[in-house]
Amino acid sequence: MLSLIRNLYRSRTLLMTLAWKNVALRYKQAYLGVFWVLLKPLCLMVIFSIVRSFIGINSGDIPYSVLVFTALMPWMFFQESTSEGVVSVTGNTALIRKVYFPREIFPVIAVGTKIIGLGVNLVMVFLLMAWHDISPGLQALWIPALVLYVSLASLTLAFFGAAMNVYYRDVTQALPVVLSLLMYLSPILYPLHLVKEKLLVQQIAGPFSEWYYRLYSMNPLAGIIDAFQNVLLRNEPPDFASMLPSALLLAVMFPLSYAYFKRAERFFADVI
Amino acid sequence: MSMIEVSHLPKEFHLGALTSLRRSLANAARRLSGKTVEERPAFKALDDVSFSVERGEVIGIIGHNGAGKSTLLKILSGISDPTGGSVKVNGRIAPLIEVGAGFVPDFTGRENVYLNGAILGMSRAEIDSKFDQIVEFSEIGEFIDTPVKRYSSGMQVKLAFSVATAVESEILIVDEVLAVGDVAFQRKCLDRMENLINSEGRTVLIVGHGIRQLERICSRMILLRHGQIVIDGEPGAVSKLFLDETTLKSAENALAAGPQPLRPYKDSKVMEVTSLEIVGERKVMDATVCPLMSDLHIRLTINALHPIRNAEIQIGLHSPEMVFMTKSSTLTLPDPLNLEPGINHIELVVEKLAFCPGTYGVGVTVFDWARNKIWAGNKLRWVLVESTAEQAAKLPNGTLAYLPSHWEIARGEAP
Repeated sequence: MLSLIRNLYRSRTLLMTLAWKNVALRYKQAYLGVFWVLLKPLCLMVIFSIVRSFIGINSGDIPYSVLVFTALMPWMFFQESTSEGVVSVTGNTALIRKVYFPREIFPVIAVGTKIIGLGVNLVMVFLLMAWHDISPGLQALWIPALVLYVSLASLTLAFFGAAMNVYYRDVTQALPVVLSLLMYLSPILYPLHLVKEKLLVQQIAGPFSEWYYRLYSMNPLAGIIDAFQNVLLRNEPPDFASMLPSALLLAVMFPLSYAYFKRAERFFADVI
Repeated sequence: MSMIEVSHLPKEFHLGALTSLRRSLANAARRLSGKTVEERPAFKALDDVSFSVERGEVIGIIGHNGAGKSTLLKILSGISDPTGGSVKVNGRIAPLIEVGAGFVPDFTGRENVYLNGAILGMSRAEIDSKFDQIVEFSEIGEFIDTPVKRYSSGMQVKLAFSVATAVESEILIVDEVLAVGDVAFQRKCLDRMENLINSEGRTVLIVGHGIRQLERICSRMILLRHGQIVIDGEPGAVSKLFLDETTLKSAENALAAGPQPLRPYKDSKVMEVTSLEIVGERKVMDATVCPLMSDLHIRLTINALHPIRNAEIQIGLHSPEMVFMTKSSTLTLPDPLNLEPGINHIELVVEKLAFCPGTYGVGVTVFDWARNKIWAGNKLRWVLVESTAEQAAKLPNGTLAYLPSHWEIARGEAP
């Protein structure tokens, strides 16, 4: 963990330059530029709102569209940064085979540069909130910490996936499937408090209900999405109880994933 | 203290390195349960390589394709990990392994200088201070703000080389970059390399195939064969060994392939060569042995289908790499050569054959009165020039031929 920060600090010029290259390339010949970042969550928001009108999801006193968009903001970040992170090593074959520098730069840049998109979507959330006359409170100060937390979640998957992908390109194929499953396992289409109500209050799975809930909240996105909605829309602090299982999971998995990446890194140039 | 210290370095690659996920999992399971894992065949790219490099030395690493040169450089620059042994590097290494690896076609020259500089480990301030120098050396000039994708390939390489040599590192690693750009720029690159070496006293490792160029710049050379160091020492001796080896190898290949058949030339219906004979008592494989400094008789039989007035026949001897050592022409005869319909016997005597011992091929070309080719062929027969033990002991090495010559040595009073 410390060695990650030290390596990144030592190659900070390269890190910044490659990050700038990433961002510049992404928008160099795309005239709509940042608009693309907004398009996807906006479309999903519309679709989810239509779906909701058939099945009826109780969104409490917050308009459903705002609730969904606020959930989509971290989700889109997670989805795009891990997908790009996983292919970031294999996508830089030329560099990997010719020059040595700490390879973790690639996933870190892939994840880091996606924060720009997250920022753009955050502005959109504020606009939607203004439209529906919801004003953000002091709790919104949690946002930087939450962004860091979701970045760590992305990096955990990205380090592991990127290293695996060098050996087995199957990862590139499998990831979209995993991510789309994860999307329905995360409280996006429905708010987290519905899950809590069913499992913790109504105990619909009988004696196992609490275990099911713990299992559900092992997904880091569950806690993160709910936290973003809390601090932005409800002006409430994040629900730490539902974030704890995933935080423990991440605390174990992140160092493991990084260690695996560093171990595999030595053979990248030979295998890639 | 040595700048680089390499001891007993192996590098193995597993043949067919990527196994299926199923086999990997099966192997992992066996390893965990303590059973023996099925071994994949290993290929030794480097085998017990040891050497050390002192400050200011310029080391040239040569060898045939696949000898392990690039693998060695990759290990030294940290791109790839050795399978064992130890590598110690004291000082900052700038890897110039194939220049321009990190160029982005959509970026301008200026942007690419910053990008490539950062990739090679320069800080922002360092690039800023060297920017003008880089652009000037690259001869890119006004095109520096044009996207690199619109550059000619020569311009890209020039820019890349300029960035790479601007890196201030104690150790410079260069792989095959001397052959970039046009001849004038190559000259400039060589001068730049020599400048880096001589005045800045950098330690340099170069891998390449331009043996003569390397011989000139390097203070020491290492010859690799099949991943092992064959010889490590003074450039002249190493490059000689390598070149001799190369010549021998191509001679062997040529002999193994045997002589070319006497086949009709294109669809010429004027004549055919029915036989070509090298007079000699002994044969080694398909090559006729000719002792050094003896006369070589070549007998050619031509079946002319029409009278061929004022023809020209050329017979030459060439090395296995198709460098002609000598050619003789019938045009030097006092009278024009006329080939009559039917069989014509022609004999050429090459007097006192004075080629460096080795294998030589025979080439024949026939021209008509208008000097159009009507028959041609190379590698038709092989001649093996052999020296006696006595000659071999006296004749110097490193030449292609020994022309007849004599010495005059006079003695005078000391001034």
